[in-house]
Amino acid sequence: MIPSITDWHSFFFYLFATVTCVFALAVLFATNIVRMAFYLIISLGASAGLFILAGAEFLGVMQLMIYVGGTLVLLVFGVMLTAQERFISMKTRGGEWVMAAIVGGALLVLLVQTAFSIDDWTAPRADLSAVSAIETQTATRLGLGLLGIRPDQAEEADPVLRQGMSGYLLLFEIVSVHLLVVLIGAAYLARSKRVTSLARAAEMRR
Amino acid sequence: MVPLVAQITVSHYLVVGAVLFVTGAVCMATKRNILGVLMGVELVLNGANVNFIAFGSPFLREHHLGLDGQLIAVFVIVLAAAEAAVALAIALNFYNNHTTIDVDRAEDLKG
Amino acid sequence: MESLPVLLGLAVLAPLASFFVILLLGPSLGHGGKSAAYVAIGAIVLAGLLSFISLGIWLANHWPEAPHDDHHAAASEHAGDAHEGESQNAKSAHDSHASEGVAGDSHAASHHGSTPPKVSGEYYVLAKIGDLQLSISYYIDSLTIAMFCMVTLIASCIHVYATGYMHDELHDITDHEAHTADGEHVHRPGRFHRFFQYLSLFCFSMLGLVLAGNVLMVFVFWELVGICSYFLIGFYIERKSATNAANKAFIVNRVGDFGMIIGLMAIWSSLGTFAFDELFEAVRPGPSHVLQTPDGMVYASAQDRVRDIARELGPDATPDQLETAIQERATTENWRNVGPDGKAPGYGYWLLIVAGVGIFCGCVGKSAQFPLHVWLPDAMEGPTPVSALVHSATMVAAGVYLAARFYPFFAPEVLFVIAIVGAITLFMAATIAITATDIKRVLAYSTISQLGYMMLAIGMGGWLAGVMHLVTHAFFKSLLFLCSGSVIHAVHTNEMPEMGGLIKKMPWTAYTMLIGCLAIAGAGIPFVIGLSGYYSKDAILEQGHLFMTTNPGWGAVFFWAAAGGAAITAFYMFRMWYMTFLGKPRNHHRYDHAHESPWSMVAPLVILAVFAVGVAWPIPFSSLRLSTLLEQARPAGGLNDMQGVLVNMVWPNEHDSHAASHVIPATLIAFGTALSGILLATMFYVWQPHLAGEVRQQFSPIHRFLVNKWWFDELYDWIFVKPTHVVSGVAARFDRNWIDWIVDGSAKVTRRFAYGWEWLADRVVVDGFVNVFAGWMYSLGLATRRVQRGNLREYVLFILVGALVLFVVISIFRVTYAGGS
Repeated sequence: MIPSITDWHSFFFYLFATVTCVFALAVLFATNIVRMAFYLIISLGASAGLFILAGAEFLGVMQLMIYVGGTLVLLVFGVMLTAQERFISMKTRGGEWVMAAIVGGALLVLLVQTAFSIDDWTAPRADLSAVSAIETQTATRLGLGLLGIRPDQAEEADPVLRQGMSGYLLLFEIVSVHLLVVLIGAAYLARSKRVTSLARAAEMRR
Repeated sequence: MVPLVAQITVSHYLVVGAVLFVTGAVCMATKRNILGVLMGVELVLNGANVNFIAFGSPFLREHHLGLDGQLIAVFVIVLAAAEAAVALAIALNFYNNHTTIDVDRAEDLKG
Repeated sequence: MESLPVLLGLAVLAPLASFFVILLLGPSLGHGGKSAAYVAIGAIVLAGLLSFISLGIWLANHWPEAPHDDHHAAASEHAGDAHEGESQNAKSAHDSHASEGVAGDSHAASHHGSTPPKVSGEYYVLAKIGDLQLSISYYIDSLTIAMFCMVTLIASCIHVYATGYMHDELHDITDHEAHTADGEHVHRPGRFHRFFQYLSLFCFSMLGLVLAGNVLMVFVFWELVGICSYFLIGFYIERKSATNAANKAFIVNRVGDFGMIIGLMAIWSSLGTFAFDELFEAVRPGPSHVLQTPDGMVYASAQDRVRDIARELGPDATPDQLETAIQERATTENWRNVGPDGKAPGYGYWLLIVAGVGIFCGCVGKSAQFPLHVWLPDAMEGPTPVSALVHSATMVAAGVYLAARFYPFFAPEVLFVIAIVGAITLFMAATIAITATDIKRVLAYSTISQLGYMMLAIGMGGWLAGVMHLVTHAFFKSLLFLCSGSVIHAVHTNEMPEMGGLIKKMPWTAYTMLIGCLAIAGAGIPFVIGLSGYYSKDAILEQGHLFMTTNPGWGAVFFWAAAGGAAITAFYMFRMWYMTFLGKPRNHHRYDHAHESPWSMVAPLVILAVFAVGVAWPIPFSSLRLSTLLEQARPAGGLNDMQGVLVNMVWPNEHDSHAASHVIPATLIAFGTALSGILLATMFYVWQPHLAGEVRQQFSPIHRFLVNKWWFDELYDWIFVKPTHVVSGVAARFDRNWIDWIVDGSAKVTRRFAYGWEWLADRVVVDGFVNVFAGWMYSLGLATRRVQRGNLREYVLFILVGALVLFVVISIFRVTYAGGS
């Protein structure tokens, strides 16, 4: 039997979901910081696949570029800058593990139970083939959405719903500027100490 | 149908998101390495993102959030990137001051 | 026509812009702020140009038609010929603009019972509260435009004049009339730019006042001109007399404004609008435009009847039912004409009178009418251009303007009050002016007197006469003031006994001032032609004569007060001119230093003299002249005979005063009084100079009475200031002896009590409570401190546990209260 589109979708979903979850757990259980970083890369990359499966292609690519290509490189830098042999693995006490496992398990049970408790969430979409036809693969719709224009709500009857809730461009600008300031502050914070240590070294040399 | 070939719904995604979230949170709670804690944060944020994407996806249910889900996910990604940079700066500074990256040693303010 | 609000609005704003430019740039404009004058002049000249363009537009749309029976115009026959075509043009021009929303009809303007042509509307709505609306609006008719042209023209002349007059202020100044605490003369930097800054602000306020389309806006600008007047009177702020005069002007005006606020409240609370057209429509509804008490005032006054109706209808009645019931009852029982006691002044009539008299109170203060006239003579402490602009030509005339604007709103009783006040003012001020020796004070009292004339004219129903005198007076009185300023500039004193013989030194000033004197005396060839004052003053006397024949008692008083005032006016004006310019120099030191003023001061004199001569002249071969232009603005229904309700008098139609039976005696009496006044002055001060002194000794009590200005200041001092002092003295003693005793005693008792209470309450109760509480908090803190271990990872766990607990709690609530999830 040749699997239908739905089946391929399911197949890839389970593939990526498994990879994501397994490597996330691997991050949790690994003790070597370098390995943790590597597992994290794989987990995040797989979740980018999930994004693409859910129709958010642009976001999936963004996830790959920013997380895998940017943030994690930053993390690896951090590992390399700070990791000396004795710090690479630090043991945690068993009691803490047990405590965290109880709390985390309870939370997981709760969340999963919630995920299946709403009928609307568990019911699959019936007219799937109609949807895939109208979607385009570019970031244009996302950009329009930022501006407050909603191509995906065009056939919505209710005018309030038709507008959606977006139009986040100004907010995005504000957040960007804010974060820029924070980043500059961070850069300053990270480098100021080194100047003093250099000065101390120079002093010692004298 | 066998579950393996059943059509994917929002709930499936939510489970993945829940696993990522809980893993990240537990990671934050158990790792003594400050970089490990950071990775936990990334996992938590990613779990949230999975949920947003799922709710905004037109493939998964009729009454989807539409682009709003993706737009908020964009915010989260940007925020996570900036957060990572800032946290790393703090970590480096912490390392410069204490010559360690063990969060349990960060207890100068303990009364 | 639709461009008029824009043009005139710009004309109002131009001086404001100048004010802000000077305010912000100030002394940095040119040398010592010299360019501030150019800025201000530019602004006011621009405003003037816009005003005259507006006049042109107005004339193009509403060409004034010839009066029915014009006796003054020598060229009346020619005018009649030319008029036919012009009138046709005007009518067709108007017809083509019929769709613009311009009310009225130029052709029918002078007929009984029609509304005058006007442009009114709103620039901006400030606030809307239900049906009530506050807005920045305009009301433009020919009176507005005439006032704009008059104000801007005179203000332009005075601005130019002031560049010469205030020249000293460009440099540092040692003020010889002001002293510091250690007896030195005050030395201060010049304030040239400040002067023009105030002038600009004043021009803005004055033009805004004239343009205003509702009474509230009028009130706002009214206060603005008041504050400008205050600034300008107190311009030489180092002089005690100047600050006193400024305070006096401001405070006395507040008295009048208080009355005005009462009037405004009466209008607002009963009619719910301030807009002129709505008010006039309410008081004189078309098409007959006969004065009647507006509905709002009737209902507001008939509270007892309204309460009865409400009781009859019961509590379930809707407001609409109540309203219709009230309207029905008001019509059937004729509330408007039958009052609570079943007699003549109906409900609301008193409210109408209160509103009218209240508004007039404001006019009394601003136009320096009896009994609030005392501030104007003291206001002469300001620089002379200010006296000319603010205190003779424009601001003080604003009171008359408002009275004229509000004319349709005035009940006959209010007009009666106006006439009485005007008559008293004109006579009293004229007599004081006879003995004044300060040249500016003579003019100040003359101004008061002439303002009294205008009020009298309006009060007798002579709307046109009053308004016309307002315009002509502005020209010749500002001319006279500027001349006096020129003299003062030359001899550095205000005292006429120090002058004399100046005609040789300053001929331009002397002859222009002579023109001004002739104009104010109303000189002219009877029935042929005359200076501007001749037309307006004769019109007042004609109306007075008509009023006298209609109402023999009071009418005679008013008429003879006006006629006597005319004689006295001629006398004191020529006394002033003779003492200043003729005879031998009485102070050779001052005489030797005297010189003709620079061109910047002489040129405005000449321009104003031209207007003082010819502003009221008929323009040959046309029906255009001042009187016909202003006639267009006559309020709707202003030509009906009015019968007083509370006073048994009739206010006759002003057009009837043009009948020969009134014109001939009035003109002859005016000519005779003016001539006799001039001759008397000539006799006393030129032919027989010693006579003046002899007469003064002969009538020394009267002379003293007049020199002391009828003892008004002393009277007010006695009535208001002294009793206040006495009361405050008593209050102070009461304070010291009784209140202080009580306060000290209670303080002692409180102190004793406090010592005892402190031990019991503070130490035992409060301290105990606080200490116990602090102990609890301390142990609680110690206990919770253990949780805060500074372990980052534990905190994360706490967060998760917190989230879980929240979930659990919410679920329990949902299951318990909402019946399951």
